[in-house]
Amino acid sequence: MIFSFKPEKYRKDFPLLNQNLIYFDNACMSLKPQQVLDKMYEYYTRYTACGGRSSHTLAKEVEAEVAKTRLTVKSFIHAKKEEECVFTRNTTEGINLVANSFGLQKGDEVIISDKEHNSNLIPWLKMQKEKGIKLHITESNLDNTFSLEAFESTFTKNTKLVSVVHVSNMDGVANPIKEIAKITHEHNAALLVDGAQSVPSTEVNVQKLDVDFFSFSGHKMLGPTGTGVLYGKKERLEQLSQFIVGGETVLDATYDSYLPEKIPHRFEAGLQDYAGIIGLSEACKYLENVGMNNIEKHEIKLNKLVTERLAKHVKILGPQNAEKRNSIFSFTVPGKDIHHISGILNSSKNIMIRSGAHCVHSWFNKHNMKGSARASMYFYNTEEEANIFCDAVEKIVKI
Amino acid sequence: MVLCLLALPVFALLSIFSIKYKKLTADAIECLFKTIQLRKCESGLDDRMRADFTGRAMNLSPKFAQFFYNHYKIISWIILIIFIWSFFTSTIGIYNYIQYGNCNGPESNEFCVFDPTGQNNGITEAELDTHKTLTSPGVQENRTNIGNSDAELTIIEFGCYSCPFTKKAQPIIEEVLAYYEGRVNLQYRTFVLPSHLNSLESALAAACADEQGKFETYHNRLFDLQLDPSITFTSIAEELELDIPAFEHCMEEQRYKEQVDEDTLAAIYAGVEGTPTFFINDQAIVGPKPFKTFQTVIDGELQ
Repeated sequence: MIFSFKPEKYRKDFPLLNQNLIYFDNACMSLKPQQVLDKMYEYYTRYTACGGRSSHTLAKEVEAEVAKTRLTVKSFIHAKKEEECVFTRNTTEGINLVANSFGLQKGDEVIISDKEHNSNLIPWLKMQKEKGIKLHITESNLDNTFSLEAFESTFTKNTKLVSVVHVSNMDGVANPIKEIAKITHEHNAALLVDGAQSVPSTEVNVQKLDVDFFSFSGHKMLGPTGTGVLYGKKERLEQLSQFIVGGETVLDATYDSYLPEKIPHRFEAGLQDYAGIIGLSEACKYLENVGMNNIEKHEIKLNKLVTERLAKHVKILGPQNAEKRNSIFSFTVPGKDIHHISGILNSSKNIMIRSGAHCVHSWFNKHNMKGSARASMYFYNTEEEANIFCDAVEKIVKI
Repeated sequence: MVLCLLALPVFALLSIFSIKYKKLTADAIECLFKTIQLRKCESGLDDRMRADFTGRAMNLSPKFAQFFYNHYKIISWIILIIFIWSFFTSTIGIYNYIQYGNCNGPESNEFCVFDPTGQNNGITEAELDTHKTLTSPGVQENRTNIGNSDAELTIIEFGCYSCPFTKKAQPIIEEVLAYYEGRVNLQYRTFVLPSHLNSLESALAAACADEQGKFETYHNRLFDLQLDPSITFTSIAEELELDIPAFEHCMEEQRYKEQVDEDTLAAIYAGVEGTPTFFINDQAIVGPKPFKTFQTVIDGELQ
């Protein structure tokens, strides 16, 4: 069956795409459709109030919208219960929440991969320094794919937690989370997954993946900035201690003690970003409407096109096969500075890509590299845009 | 580094008006200091500018973009040298304009960007194309000077009674003489310009009036009435109560033609290309420069 996805159908929903630009920095931040913006505007114009505190009409409407969002998110990632979804500010906050609340003690061991974003490295380094945990880094294969053998060999009897990225923001390689979960659970450890790059582009079923925790951000999946979700199995969330505490995280308090709220509210301290959360709901709906399978297939189609045209001119990070790199085309050009590449693309054709270490400094430092130029495509990008990008890169290679 | 150095003053100036340039200014400063310490710029401003220029150039000509990208260091140095040279000359130009009313100095009447209408630089060209260096002809002893005859300093003016620019300089000179009362006087000498009606005749008339001790008043009236077609030399003489037959006789026989010719020749030898041109000792001022210009030169000479 021929895949006939038409990005043009959706482009009109994105105000920024009416401008003369090619946006290929979706791994960092996705553009926002008008529907999400309208939903946020709705909060500020129709029911601007506090949720979970006041009992007037507007407050009840806010609570209802937030509850609806939790249900939408639950359905979007196929969680079992809506209370398994904690609203956070972003993926980083979700990871920090688990790191600080899991109850890790001195001598406990945590495994991460060698391609983790700083968000999934620094919290563990901090725990290692301050709590005395031991951090293990599991090495990838030579083609940057995940090595299950190396991973399994890293476990010890003290391993308590594994925290790995689902889809790497550096090269787009997807890790085999199902298998990782199986091995992790065989060793009686828990699995936390950084889903920042996978949720926007692939169908994520946290139950099928059998992850214990799964953290992702709204801003990469058409949602507002400053929104995110930490999924946790109910029993796992209930075992976590509280991280940031204060308003809305307790049922009652005296001068001596307090009674924590139920999950997920005990982790949602202070007044929430209601407009953002409600906007996130609209983002999930929009993505479901487009179809996660369509998104994934279209991204790979664009990545194949770019890879076929540019493979002979540039050095690609990760596997040569575009299907293994999802939406990400991370590359270097021998003899050319990566920041020059992105700068020239920007000033010559208004093509926006990212250059640098993509917050994966550790990997680039280990490989003695400054970073890479990274084009990351999304479902609203077209083949025409991909070809313009390739034309421009070919010209840059020649200068 | 070179581009950072170039960008620094530009961004610093723009940052006064827009906060977005503050970060760029800070980047440029960081880059500059790192370079002085022989370290690599971490802000990447140099790289950003190089890429930005290359990208824009690529749309015009890929070959030019390639040339710029591969030779940007040399190009940057050339631009830097031009920039410094331009800054240096601009500073001199601004100084000259403030001091002398012309970017090119008191001796010039060339176009000045700060004085686009040429208010301070207008002269009536003699069309001689001598292009000689202006050299003072020296004060003539046998002339009637305006002002204190025992003054410490004499301004020599080569003017023409029919020249609008000489007329424009007239109130400035009056202001100068009043300001330096007793210390500075004026020796007015006519540079006869054939293109001007009655250029020679008016000079002769002033000389004939001088014969009757009325040079200064006749001289002033000639400028006052420059554009009045109903006025004759005799009518001015009548107004000033001169001996009219003697005046007319003097005019008829062109008694001072030789003197006026001498003055014109002296102006040509002095390198004067138009009127008015002034000499204050060895310094020349061309055109009706503002009072400040004369003040600067005179103060320098009086010290």
